[in-house]
Amino acid sequence: MAAAAAGAGSGPWAAQEKQFPPALLSFFIYNPRFGPREGQEENKILFYHPNEVEKNEKIRNVGLCEAIVQFTRTFSPSKPAKSLHTQKNRQFFNEPEENFWMVMVVRNPIIEKQSKDGKPVIEYQEEELLDKVYSSVLRQCYSMYKLFNGTFLKAMEDGGVKLLKERLEKFFHRYLQTLHLQSCDLLDIFGGISFFPLDKMTYLKIQSFINRMEESLNIVKYTAFLYNDQLIWSGLEQDDMRILYKYLTTSLFPRHIEPELAGRDSPIRAEMPGNLQHYGRFLTGPLNLNDPDAKCRFPKIFVNTDDTYEELHLIVYKTELRPSSYTQSEASISASVHPTLDFCRRLDSIVGPQLTVLASDICEQFNINKRMSGSEKEPQFKFIYFNHMNLAEKSTVHMRKTPSVSLTSVHPDLMKILGDINSDFTRVDEDEEIIVKAMSDYWVVGKKSDRRELYVILNQKNANLIEVNEEVKKLCATQFNNIFFLD
Amino acid sequence: MHPGGGPSRAERLELGLGRERPAKAIFLHRRPGEGGGRERCLRCGHVCVRRGPGPREAVPSGRPRPDTLTPPWVRQRAVTGTFCASWTPLRNRRAQRMATDMQRKRSSECLDGTLTPSDGQSMERAESPTPGMAQGMEPGAGQEGAMFVHARSYEDLTESEDGAASGDSHKEGTRGPPPLPTDMRQISQDFSELSTQLTGVARDLQEEMLPGSSEDWLEPPGAVGRPATEPPREGTTEGDEEDATEAWRLHQKHVFVLSEAGKPVYSRYGSEEALSSTMGVMVALVSFLEADKNAIRSIHADGYKVVFVRRSPLVLVAVARTRQSAQELAQELLYIYYQILSLLTGAQLSHIFQQKQNYDLRRLLSGSERITDNLLQLMARDPSFLMGAARCLPLAAAVRDTVSASLQQARARSLVFSILLARNQLVALVRRKDQFLHPIDLHLLFNLISSSSSFREGEAWTPVCLPKFNAAGFFHAHISYLEPDTDLCLLLVSTDREDFFAVSDCRRRFQERLRKRGAHLALREALRTPYYSVAQVGIPDLRHFLYKSKSSGLFTSPEIEAPYTSEEEQERLLGLYQYLHSRAHNASRPLKTIYYTGPNENLLAWVTGAFELYMCYSPLGTKASAVSAIHKLMRWIRKEEDRLFILTPLTY
Repeated sequence: MAAAAAGAGSGPWAAQEKQFPPALLSFFIYNPRFGPREGQEENKILFYHPNEVEKNEKIRNVGLCEAIVQFTRTFSPSKPAKSLHTQKNRQFFNEPEENFWMVMVVRNPIIEKQSKDGKPVIEYQEEELLDKVYSSVLRQCYSMYKLFNGTFLKAMEDGGVKLLKERLEKFFHRYLQTLHLQSCDLLDIFGGISFFPLDKMTYLKIQSFINRMEESLNIVKYTAFLYNDQLIWSGLEQDDMRILYKYLTTSLFPRHIEPELAGRDSPIRAEMPGNLQHYGRFLTGPLNLNDPDAKCRFPKIFVNTDDTYEELHLIVYKTELRPSSYTQSEASISASVHPTLDFCRRLDSIVGPQLTVLASDICEQFNINKRMSGSEKEPQFKFIYFNHMNLAEKSTVHMRKTPSVSLTSVHPDLMKILGDINSDFTRVDEDEEIIVKAMSDYWVVGKKSDRRELYVILNQKNANLIEVNEEVKKLCATQFNNIFFLD
Repeated sequence: MHPGGGPSRAERLELGLGRERPAKAIFLHRRPGEGGGRERCLRCGHVCVRRGPGPREAVPSGRPRPDTLTPPWVRQRAVTGTFCASWTPLRNRRAQRMATDMQRKRSSECLDGTLTPSDGQSMERAESPTPGMAQGMEPGAGQEGAMFVHARSYEDLTESEDGAASGDSHKEGTRGPPPLPTDMRQISQDFSELSTQLTGVARDLQEEMLPGSSEDWLEPPGAVGRPATEPPREGTTEGDEEDATEAWRLHQKHVFVLSEAGKPVYSRYGSEEALSSTMGVMVALVSFLEADKNAIRSIHADGYKVVFVRRSPLVLVAVARTRQSAQELAQELLYIYYQILSLLTGAQLSHIFQQKQNYDLRRLLSGSERITDNLLQLMARDPSFLMGAARCLPLAAAVRDTVSASLQQARARSLVFSILLARNQLVALVRRKDQFLHPIDLHLLFNLISSSSSFREGEAWTPVCLPKFNAAGFFHAHISYLEPDTDLCLLLVSTDREDFFAVSDCRRRFQERLRKRGAHLALREALRTPYYSVAQVGIPDLRHFLYKSKSSGLFTSPEIEAPYTSEEEQERLLGLYQYLHSRAHNASRPLKTIYYTGPNENLLAWVTGAFELYMCYSPLGTKASAVSAIHKLMRWIRKEEDRLFILTPLTY
């Protein structure tokens, strides 16, 4: 029960019971076609983490996955296994490209108890991990790889197995360290995008700003506009935006927040040429535009890999309204040709000042929104909303996102109940509603309607079913008044 | 009052659930009486393997009766008593040992005070129960204690077993499969080769253990007992084969049983032979993970699950497209496992495989597939299994008391349980003092009876193991229908294989008493309406419900009516109950209340310490009406409880 396993049992009650959260045991990528004959099994393995594992052990583990997949094809040739549950761990399988398999093995959470004779007894908690959550995490691993490296097949075409292995090694070596498996939850399943609600006028202003910019900077292919980690406008395809959003909000932005908070008086903007005072700067690319030797290195990204397969450069430019505030707007721009320092200067001069103005407009909106929602007292409920059609997601359960953990304000068990309800919803297409009362007496409500899902956790332990229903109705009326939910 | 109240587990009464169980193939069902033309072999279409006269002949009257009562190879042992010294005492002392077991059972029962339902059910019983209601107070709670060992459904099925399983896997480490090939493909290849070889050279256990007598054994014809249904890999043209394979794949639920050596024991669809390589892979997966001191549980894919249950020396696998959780599927597999134990006893099963690891168990079980098939079918339709409880035939309390009393008086020295049932519903159950039946055992008995119509033909006397009671030995069950044209079936469970006549006499006395008191007419009348309609409750939107009293181990539910008239609809409704049940009883995140609104109906589940209630309403009903319906329904059940439940179970 005790929330998230204080660092492997150094807590006050470590004497009786230690808890260990789920952990990544191994992660590997293989292609069965690459080592079809006996004695060549090692060739199948394209990436294996942890790399220190002995060769035969790797081959054995890959062999098990192949066997599981092959075995399930007996029963459904086109839909082989997605996951394997064992007493100690769970393995998740994903075949993102034909014959390329990605496997993630996660150890079940453990409770270590002291038996009467003083020996530690290990108990695996087999029902704690939610399949859908970790399958989504695994799929995300591929999407993220693909965003920065393109498809496996492309690497094979460009430089054969050797190049593919290099790319996989380079990417996953670091990326796997950023997986925080103990704090994965429903939001990982949705992989949604938080949108910033905006009035029409401001929205149009932003759109025309983007149009003008794309016109004057013709190497710009796509633009996305975010404010405070929330998306306002995107020219990218939904799936590409979804993973880019994930990267920006959980990796790139947080990395830049911390240094800023630390050294507010950084000299970046000190010698601004001209009188256009603004606080824009590049999050990717040159740190200092006035340094002629500044390196213009932008990460490459790959979008539309299913058809046009575009290779682009990711430029992220950010401005802050006031240097001390958190409010910020970011434009993420994708360019087709490699941007030069000169281009960066032009972009800075065009985008910087305008973005600052826009940011102030948006900030006004932001404050209005805040006043409206803040006028009520602390609500008795928390909710998560997701719309499958536009990927819009909204959560009052999660307090903040950091690069490492997403903090939730509710008990992990309740989050798992949400996950259970979500997986029940997936099994049928029809609209459904489920209201449950947990052992802790919290009420949890799940509604699915027209490809939208809403989950509510109510903190009124003594409420009855009818009151809970009323409460949720009220919530729907205030937050989602234009969405029909099954009553 | 309740937990820890009584000095002993007063509530553990055995009950007779009338659940259909298929007749076990390997047992000879035959009337023991030798004279007066009664001597007839009640064959149920199973293969009866035995020594001496061919299976289809009548038994010569001079034949020692015990031979007819035990599975063939057991009988062998008794006949050739000197052959296997270690076994002989085992058989001879069976009765004694059973008595000791009961003794032991009794004392162990006392230790577990927590499950004890209160002895003092005399306390006031609330009209409309609340969640805080204590066990023993809820509607349907027995007045004088329960009849069953307490089963808390799923949890009960697993707890002790897991210990056993880990012990087994430990053993596996030392003497199990030889060094692991590095590649799984290799393993599965090896296994398919192995199984081909084995079918070639298979020698029966009996043959080996009883040299010289092997020519007396009839090789059980492979497919007797049930038609070979759609073998997946047979077919004349390729197209046919494709179709057949596709049809085979699409079955809702496959069940496979195999031995640790990968030998097929049972397959629900398709012949075991055709599937031997698939089964080889299954067992390879199991042992592969065990080599890592791990255990395979399940595989999940879009639209189906594969669930593994390991009960040494067997491996059971289900492939299901139903909505059931892996937990529930594992529970069903355990039922299959117990079903096999009930035919063989656990002791014999492990003995066989100790003697010969790659023994082909189908030799012993052939003919029993029908019982297993029937069990699987029953589990898909009958909520008794889900509830882990028995349903009673609705009967006026006075009539039931008369029946129970008559049953109680018709006792014999060796009787442990007397059970009267009608179409898988319990009418009355009398047990020996301090002996309790487990609902699983009762379900297995019900399945045995319902899977064979041959029991209607006279008195049957068959050995049966009640695995939850004691997996080491056989009881002997006397099974007979009271009157040929009714569904009333009497089941008398005895410890003594020799006691047929005494037990048969109990039946006669019971019937006499019933007639004398006129209860047989009332019973007959009651059998005309074996189910009640939900309309009697008087809640317009209510379509169906299940209510279980935890302390008595009994549940009640009305007939399933429109719109659930077709078989598919009925299974869908049960599927919804299963879904709610699995969420409510989730091992790590149990729930107290669930209200589910779907496109076709609304359902509510409410689980408390004392009872479980599942209701199904019209989709038009509101939550407010549902809440008020709960109270109305609970009051109705309280009012009707003496008709719907057995409140005063008796002991001899």
